Amino acid sequence: MRGQAFEVAKREFVTRARTRGFRAVTAILVLMVVAAPIVMSLLPDNSDELPKITIGVAADAPEGFADQLDAIAQSQVELTIIDLASDSSDEIETRLSNGDVDAVFEAPSTLVWDDFENPVIYGLISAALQQSSILDQADAIGLSPAELDRLFEPVQVSNRSIADDDKSSDVRSAVAFIGLFTAFLLPQIYGQLTMLSVVEEKSTRVVEVLLSHIRPRTLLIGKILGLCALAVIQLLLLIFGLVLALRFTNLVEVPSSLWRFVPLLGLSVLGGLAIYTTLFALLGSLISRQEDASQVMMPVFAPLMVGYIAGQTAVFGNADTLLLKILTWLPFTSPMILPVRVAREAIGPVEVALSLAVLAAAVFLLIRLAGRLYKFTLLRTGSRVGWREAIRLSRGAVS
Amino acid sequence: MTSALEISGLRKAYGDIQALDGVDLKIGRGQLVGFLGPNGAGKTTTMRSIIGLTSVDEGSVRWQGAPITLDDRHHIGYMPQERGLYARMKVHEHIAYIGRLAGLDRSTADTRATWWAERVGLTNRSDDLIQELSTGNQQRVQLAVALVHEPDLLILDEPFAGLDPVAVSMLSSVMTDQVERGASVVFSSHQLDLVQDLAKDVTIIANGRTQATGTVAELRQRSPHRVLEIHWSGDIPDWAPQGADPLAAVSGASRWRVAADADAASIVAAAAANGSIASVSFEPPGLEDVFLELVA
Repeated sequence: MRGQAFEVAKREFVTRARTRGFRAVTAILVLMVVAAPIVMSLLPDNSDELPKITIGVAADAPEGFADQLDAIAQSQVELTIIDLASDSSDEIETRLSNGDVDAVFEAPSTLVWDDFENPVIYGLISAALQQSSILDQADAIGLSPAELDRLFEPVQVSNRSIADDDKSSDVRSAVAFIGLFTAFLLPQIYGQLTMLSVVEEKSTRVVEVLLSHIRPRTLLIGKILGLCALAVIQLLLLIFGLVLALRFTNLVEVPSSLWRFVPLLGLSVLGGLAIYTTLFALLGSLISRQEDASQVMMPVFAPLMVGYIAGQTAVFGNADTLLLKILTWLPFTSPMILPVRVAREAIGPVEVALSLAVLAAAVFLLIRLAGRLYKFTLLRTGSRVGWREAIRLSRGAVS
Repeated sequence: MTSALEISGLRKAYGDIQALDGVDLKIGRGQLVGFLGPNGAGKTTTMRSIIGLTSVDEGSVRWQGAPITLDDRHHIGYMPQERGLYARMKVHEHIAYIGRLAGLDRSTADTRATWWAERVGLTNRSDDLIQELSTGNQQRVQLAVALVHEPDLLILDEPFAGLDPVAVSMLSSVMTDQVERGASVVFSSHQLDLVQDLAKDVTIIANGRTQATGTVAELRQRSPHRVLEIHWSGDIPDWAPQGADPLAAVSGASRWRVAADADAASIVAAAAANGSIASVSFEPPGLEDVFLELVA
């Protein structure tokens, strides 16, 4: 049986892999994941640019105020100071409403805004006034500039985070989303391929020749193995391309702890592929024409959609809700939820192991059940076979 | 002859339709059996039940004296009525693939695929996709697929349908070769003249039940009728034997269907009194007439 399953798997793999469609889609996808980081790295990086602020200084500002403001703003904002000493009140208001200046300072300590206060400007002005006041008072008590510098010598503050150095929320969310999307998309694509393959075998009657040599369950397992292997190869090509591109461009530093996530993503995707390709194969065996495929697919899309939507809430929000915990245990949704919760560090290793065990057990049981149903439904041609009818009649069928 | 395959009392109902209602069929080792019946008689259902594609309600299928198993079925070659091939596989690849599924190792499957492609006349098309072949050539591939593992039992469901005379000749010689090799062959066909030429033994079913089984000669002999054919040396007289049914005849001859126990000598004497006889034949009806008598 193993040899026969391998033969079926090999045929499925080779036949699909050598189609122009598959090769073209794979090449385009790899090109996209490689090109995207490269293109992004070539775009101008504006992230280091300082915010631009223009402050007008009206008459009667303290002496040296503009210089102090400029010194404080250095490295925080790109500050432009406009002298408005000669402007009238109306002219100043016009400049504010036109947006020529973001705020106007009026001595001794008033800031004039057009509409909303800007806390950055407020902080800059406050600091500059404070410094002017300190300098005046230091001068009054006879402190020399050197004494004053010592008095205000800045204390170097060092940073220490209780989290790992490499913990980056953004990268984790991105990886979680990639995992979710992969676990959502691959079972759909390859599930439908499996279904079309089954329908092709039924409609051409080649299944009769096959089943004169092998058991229906062997045919089913071989088909699932072949198409899942193809999906994994395609996925590995994409991951390889993406990793190469990221390393080449240094665009994103992937946290080293996240690499541990890759095998788990692989297991989840494999489990999802196995469970959904089995379901899609069963659906294919219920119909005899490709045109009828859309009629029978809807029930399988429901758990996929539930898993995807719930997974998205976990990517960007709380990944430890009761709903997500429940969906982690359900084999039809866990392939999508598990990678997200792992990437977001919202699940422990024991729960991961148990969830994967439930998934593996479900795949095993589903393949056994499908093997029984498959024999009856595969050889039934003509009108679509209902689930109830398939189950009822398969009770007497030999698997 | 010891039966290699023995089917007895097969019954199968699809809802209210009784597809099989007591089919019996025996095929000996190295025997070629024509399995005949009108459309809907149950031939395909019977053949599918041998391979395990149809589960029966009652009856048994025995292979070499024991209930047939999945392992036994690896020794069966099956050519379905509706051809079943992967359109996007190449000819050689397809034959070898089925060979491997039937248990051949890679090397043997490849060798046999090459040999069979040549035997069925497709050497130059080995690397062509199945979908690029004509219907007749696809049937040749189907035959090669059924034979690649050198089965002990070959089941061919309507193998001659749609074949040109060259392909019919090739298929007939392949079937004969298989019998000489020691394989048992059962095939269904509506081309009864072909069956009569090819098969010594036939089983005829109708309404899901076996109507007759035996050699073609036996079945003809068992017929309640005989065919009387008289070739006249002069004009054809306006005369007919009493109680005979006229049949179509060649120019210058008359044919009648008469009862098997009719007195041939008296009839010929009466004919001679009415005209000049060149030759007379008094024989059992052909397979086609026997078939019609049984299934009508």
